[in-house]
Amino acid sequence: MRTKLFISFSLCVALLIGGLQFTTGEATGVSKETLTALRTKSVPAGLDDPIWEKAKRLIVPFEGKERFAGKKASVTTKAVYTDDSIHFLFKWKDPTLSVTKGAWKYDGSKWSHQKSNEDRIALLFEINRINNYATKGCAIVCHVPQGASSAKDGKFGTSTAAEMGDLWHWKAARSDPAGFADDTWLTKISEKKGGRKSDKGKGGDQKNMTDDKSKPKFMLAPGKTFAKHGILLASHAVEITNYSDFKAGDVLTYRMPKTPSGSRGDIKAVSRYADGGWTVMLYRKLDTGNEDDTAFNPRKKYNFTMALFDDSGDEDSYDSEVITLSFKR
Amino acid sequence: MDRLRSLKIHDDTLNRTRFCGALLVILIVLLFLSGIFMAFYYSPVPGAAYDSVDFALFNVPFGGIVKGVHHYAWNLLLIVLGIHLFRAFIVGAYKAPRQMVWISGVLVMLFVPLFIITGDLLPWDQKGYWSTQVRLSIISSIPLVGDLLVRLLQGGSLTGVVALTRFYILHILLLPGLLIFLIVVHFHFIDHYGITEPLTHGTDQRVKTSFFPNILNRWLFLFLIVSVILGLIGWYWTAPLGDPADPTDSFYVPRPEWWVLFLNQLVTIFKGNYMIVGSMIIPGGLIGLLFALPVIDRSPGRHPIGRWKLMLAAAVITVAMIGLSIMGYVDHFVGAAY
Repeated sequence: MRTKLFISFSLCVALLIGGLQFTTGEATGVSKETLTALRTKSVPAGLDDPIWEKAKRLIVPFEGKERFAGKKASVTTKAVYTDDSIHFLFKWKDPTLSVTKGAWKYDGSKWSHQKSNEDRIALLFEINRINNYATKGCAIVCHVPQGASSAKDGKFGTSTAAEMGDLWHWKAARSDPAGFADDTWLTKISEKKGGRKSDKGKGGDQKNMTDDKSKPKFMLAPGKTFAKHGILLASHAVEITNYSDFKAGDVLTYRMPKTPSGSRGDIKAVSRYADGGWTVMLYRKLDTGNEDDTAFNPRKKYNFTMALFDDSGDEDSYDSEVITLSFKR
Repeated sequence: MDRLRSLKIHDDTLNRTRFCGALLVILIVLLFLSGIFMAFYYSPVPGAAYDSVDFALFNVPFGGIVKGVHHYAWNLLLIVLGIHLFRAFIVGAYKAPRQMVWISGVLVMLFVPLFIITGDLLPWDQKGYWSTQVRLSIISSIPLVGDLLVRLLQGGSLTGVVALTRFYILHILLLPGLLIFLIVVHFHFIDHYGITEPLTHGTDQRVKTSFFPNILNRWLFLFLIVSVILGLIGWYWTAPLGDPADPTDSFYVPRPEWWVLFLNQLVTIFKGNYMIVGSMIIPGGLIGLLFALPVIDRSPGRHPIGRWKLMLAAAVITVAMIGLSIMGYVDHFVGAAY
């Protein structure tokens, strides 16, 4: 009797486990890449924390658009999470450090804007489901919809107000020096205006120029230091009283990063540019409690896309396909 | 109550070695209960359907566990049904006078896939939507009635809001009603002809016990155990919910469920004009064999050794099904470009 019982029980357990192998497996049928976030007890201390070695990497391919059409790029992506926060690590090759973003340069007689732009990386998650975003990705929200009156204004947005996206926007010149990524969100696109909005709170950057737009208005306050890459933070700036102190070749930040507050300051950033490439870590709470952010639930899977900007404006980017973010429990 | 107390049934109706029938009833009860809970939050409209399932799964307290119980219960139901059928075949439960017990049981078994087929579409996710498309295309290949059946199910040329409503009504109303009716019929025949005696001893050696409270207590104990185990599984392994359905995403190729791997492989083997062989003739023939078994084997003996030819034929069919399933698994799950 006991042998019979043992065999019956073993058979049931084997069938149950075997069944689970099939039924809990990926139900998706398309060749969609998955970034699996590793669960950790402590948060990564920085870019070189050994925990990153344990996280599974995903090399995300990007395709160039507009100015970069026909070109390809890739970003090595990793993610870890704790009970209350999620951390992403991105590494990509970029032979040129671009953090200028129209910085002022003095030639000895007048001030003018430098030509180059900045490097950026952006991620878009869904706050509420965006129709077909899971399969079409960026094509649904990032490109000019038919009939939009202005390509610039109509560039980014969703079709209905119920569809909302959470846009993480790391900017090498305008947000990173303050230690943040710009936290914005996406809503319905209108004929006149795009759907991109800033999260509640303060942040972004402040333009450093006089009312007649001919020269910078602010310089580094006494006792303060420039942030990384010689960027002047808005909080460290003081109004220029004597322009004759400047000499030819002097450079001053044009877009001064502000230290964000409120929901806009949810995403913190740590970065390094070295050996011809960027390493960027972005992190925030899994659930910020703010309506303009995606509340990550480790039981759930999320779709997201990424865009890479190499010293370029919004029009010229490298875009990824849709990626699934899952949480290893 | 007195009638219940005085009701005596065989002790081996539900004991430590014979519990598949009771387990099936438990799983069906769990499926009904969890289904009712999910229906409170479900909206049978494309788009909203996905959001409502997503909400119930991740936002409603215990919603994930209930959905998990529903998901894993039907998987377990298929396995237990298979074991129940296998055991009934081995002990010759289809033989006189219990032919109708067998036939009503086979009817119940054939009903279960209909629940899965109609239920798959309800979350309106990619897997459910595209699996339904594949199934509808197979149904449409049935000569004469195929197109009519597809039109009846879809309610139009596309799988949209009408199809979803029809699948929902079938899943929560018509099919459960019919299933309950068939189970009642099955129990009626069991009550009339009794359950099959074990092969080892005859009817005269079997002990009877009171249904209330003995058998009922055993059933409730098993119910509790199964509910807790399925609840824990559902809590730890969240029931899958794919991406929202995108009818314009023609690149999506759904993976077949484990229980149709062998059928899927048959369809893969028989292509083009011969598709009907894999999709209808062979599966239909197997179902026909199941129904005809009491007629095919009328020998009085129930011991498997005395029925070795039938056992051999069944073994060949089982091995073929397992072989096709393994082939299907390799094709769809091992290194496939999904």
